[in-house]
Amino acid sequence: MDGISPASLRSGIAARPSAAIIEVSGLSKRYGEQVAIADICFVASAGQILGIIGPNGAGKTTLLETLVGLLPADSGAVCLDGQDVSPSRRRQSMFYVPDEVRPYQDQFVGQVLMFFGAVYRRPPAGIAQIIATLELQPVLGKRVHALSKGYRRRLLLALGLLAPHPILLMDEPFDGFDLRQTRQMAPLLRREADNGRALLLSIHQLPHAERICDRFILLAAGRNCGSGTLDELRDRTGLPQANLEEVFLALT
Amino acid sequence: MRSPEPRRISAAPFAPLLAKELREVLGGRALWIMLLLICPLVGYSFFQALSLYGESSVAARQSAVLAVSLSPFDGILVPTFGAFYVAVTLLFPFVAIRALSHEKESGSLRLLIQLPYRAVTVMLAKALAVMCAWLLASLPVVSAVVIWMMLGGHIAPAETLTLVAGHALYGLLVGAIALFSAAITESAASAAIVTLALTIGSWALDLTIAGRPGLFEWIARLSLTQTLKSFEQGLFSAGLVFGMTLVAASLLALAGIWLQPGDRIQTKLLRSLACSVTTVAALAAAALITFTRDMTEDRRNSFPLADERLLPTLTAPLEIIVHLAPEDPRYVDLQRNVLAKLERAMPQLTIRIAVEARPDADAASYGSIEYRYGTRSDVSRSTSPREILPIIYGLAGVQLPAPVPSTDYPGYPLVANIDLALVWFLGALPLLIIGAWLWHRRPPSFAFVTVRKGEQA
Repeated sequence: MDGISPASLRSGIAARPSAAIIEVSGLSKRYGEQVAIADICFVASAGQILGIIGPNGAGKTTLLETLVGLLPADSGAVCLDGQDVSPSRRRQSMFYVPDEVRPYQDQFVGQVLMFFGAVYRRPPAGIAQIIATLELQPVLGKRVHALSKGYRRRLLLALGLLAPHPILLMDEPFDGFDLRQTRQMAPLLRREADNGRALLLSIHQLPHAERICDRFILLAAGRNCGSGTLDELRDRTGLPQANLEEVFLALT
Repeated sequence: MRSPEPRRISAAPFAPLLAKELREVLGGRALWIMLLLICPLVGYSFFQALSLYGESSVAARQSAVLAVSLSPFDGILVPTFGAFYVAVTLLFPFVAIRALSHEKESGSLRLLIQLPYRAVTVMLAKALAVMCAWLLASLPVVSAVVIWMMLGGHIAPAETLTLVAGHALYGLLVGAIALFSAAITESAASAAIVTLALTIGSWALDLTIAGRPGLFEWIARLSLTQTLKSFEQGLFSAGLVFGMTLVAASLLALAGIWLQPGDRIQTKLLRSLACSVTTVAALAAAALITFTRDMTEDRRNSFPLADERLLPTLTAPLEIIVHLAPEDPRYVDLQRNVLAKLERAMPQLTIRIAVEARPDADAASYGSIEYRYGTRSDVSRSTSPREILPIIYGLAGVQLPAPVPSTDYPGYPLVANIDLALVWFLGALPLLIIGAWLWHRRPPSFAFVTVRKGEQA
């Protein structure tokens, strides 16, 4: 899987249907006096990978958790397929894979995967394929607390893949992966998008985001400083050759 | 690899959730450590009970009158289960708290509540897993009963099952309190403080103010320990069973309400208020359930059979006005020997304690008990059913019932070799528990979910 270029990963985007699967408007959240996210608006379509970009503390995790209904929003609306949906019902369409979670750390990796597979009525062959793709076989008999950061990240990714929701939200999906592993995982996420899912990824490593994402939301101090494809963002900055890092610095 | 088509998820099977919760409870060290600690606790209590029962039995073997007072229920079962009660009060909360706090602290809860289960379903699965842990924890006390039977001891199934039911309901209550505490607090330590404040607090409450009159008596009734007393007397009260189950269910529902991190605090408070009001209303309804059955083999909570048959036929209201202070030993005797039995036997009974009743009262009426049946009334100072029942029959204008032939309780004296109990509880059982713990820790086989390279899509 190494050597796949960002251009080839993003190939075929134009051919995909672009009907909005999720539409967010005016989403805000405060922790006391501190603004976590303010007036966030964006749209994502099935088949798209949307990167939520920003430094640590920019509000990426708060945005994802507010979207999926794990945190109550102060204001704003989240429309799924054109309908404003309450936080509790959003979980029928969205699945969020948090960062820094050790899912059921006293259980064996295989048991955790089988549990999620059984919840979503996945056949054993389907679970086995995800295990094989993410190369989790060597750690199936290990307890979750004994996993390295990389394997823990693979496990979380596997849980996300087992969930069949149309919208998958992942917080720092490449954190803990080295460059080679990241380049292995990128096509996997692309295939998920190709299969009709919308992926919302919170990423603070801009080269990774540039490699895999179709569109971006640039967050700084909880505010949306720009959104669109890389080309659209380049147009806004007037830097036609700039990479995402340069665009981000120019807009925030 | 090819994923299936994305789809919305609204429901999921219960079995995987329950299996996961069971693995979580069994996977923690807390359960196994509790089991190891229960062994000597229950073992010592059983050993002491056997020893005392044996000493009393030596004399009772020579006298049928003395033998009648030897009941295995009081002599062996209640004290042995009493040690289990101490363990459930002090240790079981840590096992139950872990069923939720562990997920909170590791962040797994954020995954769990996204799964297509309602919060009440999640709490039900956790409660079932916690009760399975209670079942495991009861193994030492169950083994004590088995040893007693192996030694030739007598067990009356009805009274034994009543006692077991009482302890199971108490375990359910403690488990529900622990899960509720874990739901409203951020850490296991905070949840433990909240739970122990309730369990040990109510224990202390029971020890310090039970038996005192007025408000103290009412507060003491709220103690968790009080709920067990009826079962320890061999009484099965449908109202109490319903009430305890209701409170446990309400605590689990409240835990489900506070489990949802996405709801606003105002929403949670409103839902909690609605849940609490519903529970209080249902508890008031439960208080109207008067069905109580004496399950003891020696029928200690009932009048003789002939009286038990006649009393329910007295359909006019009976009012008893007691001129005794509640802390007066004569009132305690009257309550235990007559009033409690009458409440179960007579359909329309009102008992009042006279307002002026104080032990230091000079009034000549202090110590008297007034009986009013229809238009007739009578006064007595006796606290014995042998004198009181004829008064009631006289007021009702019925003849004293002829005695019904029944088998007298023989008593079950037993002098047994108790060394076996010590060997079991201090040696064999702990070793078995350690073995089971090690066996449980081995990794299962996941061969059925692996695919060969050629099979990959």
